[in-house]
Amino acid sequence: MTIPEDFKTRLKIAKSKIKKQVQSDSEQKGSFMGGAFKLGTELVAAVAVGTIIGFILDNWFDTKPWFIIIFFFLGAAAGMLNVIRTASRMQKED
Amino acid sequence: MASNPMQQFSVHKIGPEIKIAGIDLSFTNASLFMVISASIILLFLFFGSKEKKIIPNKIQLIAEMFYTFVAKMISDTAGSKAKPYFPFIFSLFMFVLFCNMVGMLPYSFTVTSHIIVTLIMALFIFIAVTIIGFVKHGFKYLSIFVPSGVPVVLLPLITIIEIISYLSRPVSLSVRLFANMMAGHTMLKVFGGFVISLGLLGGWLPLGFSVALTGLEILVAFLQAYVFAILTCIYLNDALNLHH
Repeated sequence: MTIPEDFKTRLKIAKSKIKKQVQSDSEQKGSFMGGAFKLGTELVAAVAVGTIIGFILDNWFDTKPWFIIIFFFLGAAAGMLNVIRTASRMQKED
Repeated sequence: MASNPMQQFSVHKIGPEIKIAGIDLSFTNASLFMVISASIILLFLFFGSKEKKIIPNKIQLIAEMFYTFVAKMISDTAGSKAKPYFPFIFSLFMFVLFCNMVGMLPYSFTVTSHIIVTLIMALFIFIAVTIIGFVKHGFKYLSIFVPSGVPVVLLPLITIIEIISYLSRPVSLSVRLFANMMAGHTMLKVFGGFVISLGLLGGWLPLGFSVALTGLEILVAFLQAYVFAILTCIYLNDALNLHH
């Protein structure tokens, strides 16, 4: 009875082939373009939101330049945090 | 030929002016193209699911591909807990995708190239995800603003940064889609204008560029719909599975 043994090896080879194919498919799906688009806006948006919050607080408390300066830098920090998070998430996907 | 590249984005009224309580609710070309995209989706999915064959015909195959694509995306990024939100993410993905794709047709209007449209969608997602987070976890949901393992001295600063980062989600989500669509369509128009102004002698190079850019734009149209949907999944994942 050599046939089942033969069949087993053939099955093994076929399975490993499928596995390889699936792996390469998921690698392609990690669309680099999408990632590149994501990172840029992620940084800018946080800076914009921080600055807007600073502007609103300045208008409330009448402390013209101070909150906008502080929150600009906090926004930049938040933007970097966003970028790091997105990047590490992209690495995990791959 | 007046070739203002921004003219394609102008919104104008179609039909009579409708005003309800001082708010202008007239039917515009933007609303027309939203209706067109929505009807294409409805027709496509209706015919895709009409004959439930085991060996699918082409339209059923494409509809099923969309279904499995979105279902896989949700289970990959947000896990099994996000299954109930499949209809929402599927319709969101299809709407953005078809608005982008309909906008690629000549003489059409790209709805998603207007920030008001994308911002409303992003704000809806943002508010919905926040409500879902609070419903599922109560006030413990606020702990996403307080990452673990941070020294007490730095905690106020980190919390403010985390809040800004959280608030920047709808902005980045909407600006990304809007900027990509608007920039791409403006670029296509500018190269189209070059073809006309350079004439028969020099117009071939920009014409080639336009052809290549059209291909790129179709890719971007798909990619942006995908990114929009996958970020919704990621935000949903943060709200459903609290782990920080």
